[in-house]
Amino acid sequence: MAQCVQSVQEFVQDSFVPMVAVLCSEEAERVTRKNNLNFAELLRPFCRLTSEGHMRDPNNQVQVVKNLRIFVNNVVTSPNRPPTALSHAQSKILNEVVLSCQPQEGVVNNVVTAGDYDLNFSATTPWFETYRENFLQSMPASDHEFLNHYLACLLVVSSTEAVPVEQFLKLSQEQHRIQHSGEYTNPKWFIPNTLKYYVLLHDMSEGDEQRADAVYEDMKQRYGSQGCYLLKMNTRSFSAEGDEQIPDPWSQYLQRNILHTQVRTAIGDLNGVSGSLESHPLQLDITSSSGSLHTLGAVKTELKKGARDPESLAGGAGSHGACLTLNDHDHIRQFIQEFTFRGLLPHIEKNIRQLNDQSRFTKSLITSIDRILSGSFSENMVYPPEAPELQIRKMADLCFLVQHYELAYSCYHTAKKDFLSDQAMLYAAGALEMAAVSAFLQAGAPRPYPAHYMDTAIQTYRDVCKNMVLAERCVLLNAEILKSQGKYSDAATLLIKMTSEDSDLRSALLLEQAAHCFINMRNPMVRKFAFHMILAGHRFSKAGQRRHALRCYCQAMQVYKERSWSLAEDHINFTIGRQSFTLRQPEKAVIAFRQILTNDSRQTATQQSAFLREYLYVYKVTTSAQKIHLPQLPLPCIHCSATRVYFGHERRLAEGEKQAATHVSLDQEYDQDSADMWCHLEEQLVAAANRGIVPVNFQPTQCCLNSQTDNQRHPLAVVEEPIIVEVTFRNPLKVSLALSNLSLLWRFTADDAPPSKEKMTNELAITNEEILALGVGVTVYSGFFVLCCHINIHSVDLLLPTGQQTFDVMVVHGKQDLMIQGPRLNQTKEDKMTVRHGHDQRLNFIVTSPMPLMEIFFLQFPTALLCGEIRKAYVEFCNVSSVALCGLRVVSTHPDFFSFGSQATTPLTPVSPTSAENNSAYKTLATPPQSGSAAFEMLVSAEDFSQPSGVIDIPIDGSTLQPGESTQLPLWLRGPDQEGVHEINFLFYYESTGKGNKISHRVLRHTVFICASRSLSVQASACRSCVPPHHSLGDKGGGGTLIFIDVENINMSEAGMREFHIVQVSSSSQHWRLHKCINPAKDKDCKLTSRERAKLCFRATRCKPQKGTPYRINKPYLSIISSSTPCGDFFFRGCQTSESQRLDAPSSRTSCSSKSQSCVSTEDRSSDITNIVRKCNELDLNIIVIWKAYVVEDNKQLILEGQLHVALQTIGKEASSLTPREEAQEMVLLKFKSQLPPPVILPSAELSQLVKTSLHYPETYTHPFVQDSLCVVPVTLTLSNCSLAQVDVIIDLRHKGTSPETLEVHSSFTWVGQTQYKLQLKPQEVLCLTLQACFLQAGVYNLNTPRVFAKPAEQGAMCETSQQTASPSLIFINNA
Amino acid sequence: MAVCIAVIAKENYPLYIRSVPTQNELKFHYTVHTSLDVVEEKISAVGKSLGDQRELYLGLLYPTEDYKVYGYVTNSKVKFVIVVDSSNTSLRDNEIRSMFRKLHNSFTDVMCNPFHNPGDQIQSKAFDGIVSGMMVQTG
Repeated sequence: MAQCVQSVQEFVQDSFVPMVAVLCSEEAERVTRKNNLNFAELLRPFCRLTSEGHMRDPNNQVQVVKNLRIFVNNVVTSPNRPPTALSHAQSKILNEVVLSCQPQEGVVNNVVTAGDYDLNFSATTPWFETYRENFLQSMPASDHEFLNHYLACLLVVSSTEAVPVEQFLKLSQEQHRIQHSGEYTNPKWFIPNTLKYYVLLHDMSEGDEQRADAVYEDMKQRYGSQGCYLLKMNTRSFSAEGDEQIPDPWSQYLQRNILHTQVRTAIGDLNGVSGSLESHPLQLDITSSSGSLHTLGAVKTELKKGARDPESLAGGAGSHGACLTLNDHDHIRQFIQEFTFRGLLPHIEKNIRQLNDQSRFTKSLITSIDRILSGSFSENMVYPPEAPELQIRKMADLCFLVQHYELAYSCYHTAKKDFLSDQAMLYAAGALEMAAVSAFLQAGAPRPYPAHYMDTAIQTYRDVCKNMVLAERCVLLNAEILKSQGKYSDAATLLIKMTSEDSDLRSALLLEQAAHCFINMRNPMVRKFAFHMILAGHRFSKAGQRRHALRCYCQAMQVYKERSWSLAEDHINFTIGRQSFTLRQPEKAVIAFRQILTNDSRQTATQQSAFLREYLYVYKVTTSAQKIHLPQLPLPCIHCSATRVYFGHERRLAEGEKQAATHVSLDQEYDQDSADMWCHLEEQLVAAANRGIVPVNFQPTQCCLNSQTDNQRHPLAVVEEPIIVEVTFRNPLKVSLALSNLSLLWRFTADDAPPSKEKMTNELAITNEEILALGVGVTVYSGFFVLCCHINIHSVDLLLPTGQQTFDVMVVHGKQDLMIQGPRLNQTKEDKMTVRHGHDQRLNFIVTSPMPLMEIFFLQFPTALLCGEIRKAYVEFCNVSSVALCGLRVVSTHPDFFSFGSQATTPLTPVSPTSAENNSAYKTLATPPQSGSAAFEMLVSAEDFSQPSGVIDIPIDGSTLQPGESTQLPLWLRGPDQEGVHEINFLFYYESTGKGNKISHRVLRHTVFICASRSLSVQASACRSCVPPHHSLGDKGGGGTLIFIDVENINMSEAGMREFHIVQVSSSSQHWRLHKCINPAKDKDCKLTSRERAKLCFRATRCKPQKGTPYRINKPYLSIISSSTPCGDFFFRGCQTSESQRLDAPSSRTSCSSKSQSCVSTEDRSSDITNIVRKCNELDLNIIVIWKAYVVEDNKQLILEGQLHVALQTIGKEASSLTPREEAQEMVLLKFKSQLPPPVILPSAELSQLVKTSLHYPETYTHPFVQDSLCVVPVTLTLSNCSLAQVDVIIDLRHKGTSPETLEVHSSFTWVGQTQYKLQLKPQEVLCLTLQACFLQAGVYNLNTPRVFAKPAEQGAMCETSQQTASPSLIFINNA
Repeated sequence: MAVCIAVIAKENYPLYIRSVPTQNELKFHYTVHTSLDVVEEKISAVGKSLGDQRELYLGLLYPTEDYKVYGYVTNSKVKFVIVVDSSNTSLRDNEIRSMFRKLHNSFTDVMCNPFHNPGDQIQSKAFDGIVSGMMVQTG
């Protein structure tokens, strides 16, 4: 139960007060009427006695009566028996009382924290207290108890009366008639000889005061001084009114008064026409739950009428007691005191005494006799008024009224026993009830509160007597008492039990109190509180108390809110919405309905559509009534963070056969890796534009902003370029919504000219749960201003589900705000502790001055290429803006994929794709080659082709592109060396010719996918030719090297038969040149069909160190300038990339080989040796193989061309055009023992390559052994130093063969002359030694016996190695 | 048999509520929600005396005019609530107990599902089946 203003004791005491009736003469009535009050009303504010009274109980003990209140009322007579339930008129009054008592706005509610619930509600329920007070006062008097029977009667006569005494007589007779004639059952009188108190009313403004005094004297004589009073009043005349402000004590009683008089009169009226109550027109139809506005209006007007009528009767509010001065007030107070202490209390005292004596006398006798006589009693038995049991009860009631609770309790107890033994249930219940109450009120509390008395009483009233009014009173009393004792649970049960179908108002109020009980428990039961609040709300709404119903639901909502009890939540929200709407609080209704729709509801589709319709209706009414411009709509949901902003035009993807640069579009998903890649590329471009330094304030260009991009800075938008905003909607309902007339609203702070806006209209339908992205564009014109984009959905049309038969369309307009929250901050400690979000400036643009805008188109751009294929395409740059652009650059992830040609080697010829259609990508030599054998040589510097970084300046005419201008450039493409699909990204860069722009540059992205399929595999190896270069003795170096090139057609395609022709092999080296082809099959055109393999063989010779000499050879009929574009471009590009790869590679390799290296380095010289040896073996020759492929595609023969590069690094090592697969690094066992340094292994194999030896001798030698038995043949030993270091050489001619066979063979000839030489060879020196071999007989000899040891000069002897080659050198010695 | 079976999370939001389709679902939601107060009261009352070794079955939480509400709390404070028609007098305490035990076992299975995210609504066919078996079969 809620807290009350009164204490329990006060409340219970005030519930039962002595009743005093008033009978007024007409004249007296007139006097009081001057004050707009009748006599009873006049007295009412003064009915509480402030001073203590005293009386003696039957035992002559003095009893103090404190704070006594009496109730004065006009006598209203009615002949009927009191009903057991409240009449409809009464309940209507109660209804209005409750209705008029609403919680005040802005009253501080108290917060109850229970568990994790924080509930906010008012702890007091004044409407309940008002109801209770009114209910108790309107209790009909009944026979079984005397508490609200009249104890006394005031007979009031005016002094202006002709003969006041006569009037008194008349009134006295009237009173007697009412009480004793038996005509009227109402009012009821306590005691047969009711106290009559004679009051002479004197109007000071009218009458003669002396006369009044005289009459009063007369009265004193007649009735005794304690039975009469002269009340002087109306000191003030009407004219004096307004002079002084007199407090109006009646105002707080006024409302109640009015209602009471209404009750009384209504009872009086209605009792006359009994039976027709049910259909009385005044009875409001309050049971309708649909909540139409009419009902409410009716209630309101009814109430107002009800409130106004008595007011007008009374002549307006605030005019009560107009003729009374404060002195008069005191007179009245004195009068009441006098009456109570002198008249009433002695009267009661006397009666108690009488009854006490009587009961003591009769109890023993009559009761037993009576019981024996009457035999059986029915449940509804009625005692005659004189019955001794009733006398006890009467005495108890009297004692109770004068606060003698101890005596009252014992009397009630006695009475209870008697009634129970008589089976008089109603009487017994009454006695039980009062016994419990008086036990509770006993000051010292000698006995505990007998709660079971109350329970029995309630049960009896309700079930046996069917008297709900009494039961209710009992419950109210009991609940209040239980509450005071902290027994909230019992109180709640009690209150809930009392709810029933017969009275919604009562049920509602009691349920609400029960709810308060639950929340006030020691362990607050929040959910029970909420549930009972809902029940109360329901009953309130049934009782027509919408405001209370709404309040109850709102309070319950606090418990259900956001606890995922969505079904209940929806129900409450719906009810709140309805009630709010009917109470003309459409804002609240809209909010409540919105809750239903925004929450992910579990309602069915039909339910949702009902909710939606209701919401739309309310929404429409609200908006039309309040003229709000575009209120917020809850539906569809906008995913604010998913909003994407795109700067720029929507791109044309293709225009004819032109293919536009892909750039950025809204279709693309954001990908962090690719964003990083683009950013890196842009950095390269900016660095290239700023002489290699990236500016500090560099920020990558962002064309499309989304939730993942960095949105901390205001994005820059360019004037006259559109901004596309993509908004993502979600429809959480199972009902489809149709949206139309969507537009973006925006706000800006402009510097100058007014902006205009562009609208885009889209008709859309969002079906269930569909997520829809919608682009809405805004174009901004004019100068610098910050555009604070406030994008709202302008209007949303909503359609009801199509499944319905009635297809009524409800259209509402509204907006939704785009509020983008930045990412959660996580930097500082504060950030981590709390939830903070950064700024997201995605929609706050800064509009800058015009910038150039370029579009790029590609023509004849292939999608599939063979590996190494060269294709020519065209690229077109268009300046579509009104600003000139310059500084065109491009960077790519695959710089070796494309080339614009180099300016140094390509004459700038106007090229058009149509004319060059049949042309090969390669340029051929205009003049036919001079001779088949002669090699064409050209010096090219690598700088011509390659650029220092990956950034390539695009060679356009005049380096600027004027507005509207477009230019076309050829673009050569070379298929990647590795097969598969390659994603190739280009980033084009350009800037405005004007300076000082906020945007320094702009970029354009392009991404292509190239599918590369296998073409040829070229494997090349080089080996030192053993043959001395006798054919070209002119070459001093004599470092002839043979180059073997294996070409294999590895194309897998079955469809178009591909035949590859090797067109040309070129070389590029600083030291080497390719000589002529020494193919075994010389004349044959090198043709390769599928899976075929060809071997080409070239001789390379060392030439003087020159820089960059791509070298062309072979194929007389067609000679391609391999040094120019595009061949050279790609060659050098390829070199660059492969070099960079090589640079990368060692870093990974060192890690695993470091150990062995460190071992070697223990001896410095060995590393020296290896160096020397490596130098010696270094080749550094690049080979370019140019091929043609014949492909049949769509019955057309196509000739494709391409080139493959092979870089030969060292002699004897095979190199391939196909980059080898990365070998998985071998797992190295982890060794903890320190390894013994392995013995120094001399790279003998490599050292053996230091010196090249060859023997020159005549193949056959004829010698006449007959004449001369010794045949001496001169043999020349040529030693050539291959290395670039001095080499010590030791030649030992002595036979040292260990094997028997060599012995055998060698024994047949000997070297003569010097057999051991020690020489030193300068770098690259060729030395000829003339040796002499001596043969004894004819035969075949192997001359290759000299052993040559070589070591680099200034090295230890240990590293001498045999330089002997294994191949035998045979000589035929013939006998002549 | 039961007319409504509910599983409530530790934080007192519903993980699963199923009621007899013929009756007002909302009513059961309210009933189950309100019963949580009693459940909490019972837990706190028992918790003090016995600690962890308390009986999981809480017995009759409260009777309403039409229904009897029974409660069961797992050790992880997940609540099971079974609402039974008051007119069904044949149902004994033991049977309610066994119903709860069955429910608990099935719930444990659901929680063991590695794809189930604890705290989510229960969407398990097996659990549905068990619950259906305990519900009143209406035509």
